[in-house]
Amino acid sequence: MAVLANKQRAIKISSRQILNAVFIGIGAVAVFLVFDAIIGGKCDSKCVIGTLNQAIRYAAPVALAAYCGLMCERAAVINIGIEGMMLTAAMVGYGVNVYAFTWLKAGGMDPALAGDASRWLSLLLAIAASGLMALLHGVVSIRFKADQIISGTVINILALGITGYFYRQYLAQDIPPGPGTFAPFDIPLLAQIPILGPIVFQGQKPIVYFMMIVTLLIHYVLFFTPWGLRTRAVGENPRAADTLGINVFRVRYINVLLGGALAGFAGAWFTLEAVDVFNPQMTNGLGFIGLAAMIFGNWSPFGALAGALIFGLGNTITTTISIFRPDIPSQIPQMLPYVLTILVLTGFVGRAIPPAADGQPYEKQ
Amino acid sequence: MSNLAAERAARTDGRATLLRTLDVLSMPALAMFLGFLGGAIIIWITSGSLETVGAAYAGLINGAFFKQRGFSETLVAMTPYVFLGLGLAIGFKAGLFNIGVEGQFYIGAISAVWAGVAFPGLPAIIHLPLVILAGALGGALWAGIPGFLKARTGAHEVITTMMMNYIAFRLAEFVVSLPLRDPLSTAVQTLRVSPNAELWSLWQIPERLADPLNALGVALFCALCAFVIVRWLAPHARRVVVGGIVFATGAIAFIALPPLVKVWWLFDDQYDRLHIGIILALVAAAVVWWLMYKTTLGFEMRTVGANPNAARYAGINISRNIIVTMAISGALAGIAGTIEVLGVSICRCLPLFFSSGYGFDSIALALLAKNNPIGIVGGAFLWGAMRNGADLMELNSGVSKYIISLIQGLVLLFVAAPAVVRYLLRMRAPSKTEAEAPLTRGWG
Repeated sequence: MAVLANKQRAIKISSRQILNAVFIGIGAVAVFLVFDAIIGGKCDSKCVIGTLNQAIRYAAPVALAAYCGLMCERAAVINIGIEGMMLTAAMVGYGVNVYAFTWLKAGGMDPALAGDASRWLSLLLAIAASGLMALLHGVVSIRFKADQIISGTVINILALGITGYFYRQYLAQDIPPGPGTFAPFDIPLLAQIPILGPIVFQGQKPIVYFMMIVTLLIHYVLFFTPWGLRTRAVGENPRAADTLGINVFRVRYINVLLGGALAGFAGAWFTLEAVDVFNPQMTNGLGFIGLAAMIFGNWSPFGALAGALIFGLGNTITTTISIFRPDIPSQIPQMLPYVLTILVLTGFVGRAIPPAADGQPYEKQ
Repeated sequence: MSNLAAERAARTDGRATLLRTLDVLSMPALAMFLGFLGGAIIIWITSGSLETVGAAYAGLINGAFFKQRGFSETLVAMTPYVFLGLGLAIGFKAGLFNIGVEGQFYIGAISAVWAGVAFPGLPAIIHLPLVILAGALGGALWAGIPGFLKARTGAHEVITTMMMNYIAFRLAEFVVSLPLRDPLSTAVQTLRVSPNAELWSLWQIPERLADPLNALGVALFCALCAFVIVRWLAPHARRVVVGGIVFATGAIAFIALPPLVKVWWLFDDQYDRLHIGIILALVAAAVVWWLMYKTTLGFEMRTVGANPNAARYAGINISRNIIVTMAISGALAGIAGTIEVLGVSICRCLPLFFSSGYGFDSIALALLAKNNPIGIVGGAFLWGAMRNGADLMELNSGVSKYIISLIQGLVLLFVAAPAVVRYLLRMRAPSKTEAEAPLTRGWG
């Protein structure tokens, strides 16, 4: 019965949501016009498609970070350590990629094959590293019932220390040549769809496609499976969930670990998809922006994706402006995504409703 | 008889205070110990030899205290930590997590450079306070915006101040590379602040005091301190007496100090960077303590932090409280940035690659000190020592200096979750459940 009601709630689109979509559409057109004016009317249809394609690329880490927050917070564990998890994953991804490649090549493996093998291995280990950080966050905030925001800060600061230490010790100089990032590819049939194809399904790299799949997956899991129902019950009213025989701690642990894995993908995006270097400042607050996207999206995956896309668009526009208008100091457009995040957050936070038990450690009686 | 009882009461009271102090200190001490132990294990694993651990920690201690000018450099590094730790502590006390102190530090530094460059020719007695005020205002404004947003819309300060951090970094880059850039310098850095706006290094004091205006400034400062101390020791003293003592102190300082420091002065090393900022830091700690525990504003802040609902029923304006708390917190962070520019940076300017990391370290510091101003001064000393000793450690043992951040992260972990420490050391949980105010609040 409850499942059914929730299904209806998940599918039903309210008039306010339609209104929001209209506003966002008008806003997007306005933004485009301003953007086009700034770069001097040089944006034709190809440029628009390219910009949107790029926006999805930049949205991927933010969306994955938002899903990480979503998974944790639907089970009532606030996670502000996403940034740190991503940074750790980015470093592990880069380090493993470079050293595994060298090692495999020295073992006599074909370079192309070794490149593929090391990339996938480093993705796996990046996720594992992020998962380990998530486990720490889980243990500290679930088992030891520490303040969850402080616990997330612990993750962030520890990650700064860990990545800084290993970077300076092993990754700052004398690095062997690595195999580079994943290659972009098209999705066979979907890429042929007229406008949507070139924007969404062409020329992206694996983690971006993964982000799209995982959006659907999280929506399905959260709203249409017993596990999702349990997660939401634990997030809204853990005492009642416990009474019904749900193991609150187990649900929270698994959700935090899943979230950690998602943050691992987000982190791996930086060093396995975006660029082939690592530096300790590279996540640039994207984990926190992911949290803002999550709040913007009212703790739902599609809403969070919308928030991430807004950010991705802002970031793309920033980059394009920097290229077309070298006379504008690059720092000014670079502030834009952060200003945008603050505006979006302040505009939407009052209307977003977090899970009722969000941030409260559970005391078993 | 009654005399004896009073004496015994005093003795047990003293012992109780001692025990309580030890009790309060035990958890931070254990956290520090476990943090260093964790750091040692990491060095041991990554380097593969126990000797490296020894070399690293010996280098750390040597660098922090025993190398040439080591101790004074520790005090130099300690100064911004005191301000930033105090800023964070005020926030935590009021239930606000100002994770953006790093950005406010940058904005403070920019504002200070601007004020230091824009008014050449002002005497130090006006210019120096003006520049510090500018830095404080810049930081206050930068923190006040998230405070305002939180008060009006409920946007959580952790995200907004973090975003403000990144905006501040870009703004600093912009200001350094365009509006305030020094056109004559090959390095990308701002103009040099006016010499009168610099914070005096301690070795400079004799020559600085030769100027009567500077001496007047110092005398006023001494008189102010005398006023506070007299009021503190004898709250009901008559106005004439207080005035007399204050005036006498000021006059003596004005007349006697300049010749005195000329004859005998402890600091004569021109390469010693220790500056009067350390005195300002101690004063700030005292002021923050007074603000938090002896004023209505501080009481309101602590009430809002402990229980916002109770505070609302008591008629405290929570919105105003949030904004004011954030502004004070940011002002302290801004002063830290100011001091870094005016007293520490060699060029007395803001270089392009000005990365401090002070702000993020201070989070662990504030929580280690349990947001207590005295504890923050002590913790800042430890943090300054670690930061200062890290370079020699890296040089001597080849262990990256980032191990310091790792250790501080571990310390934060153990401070944040005392239950972890108890679990690791197989300690019993305290019998009485201490009802501590929550440090932070969720999105709601």
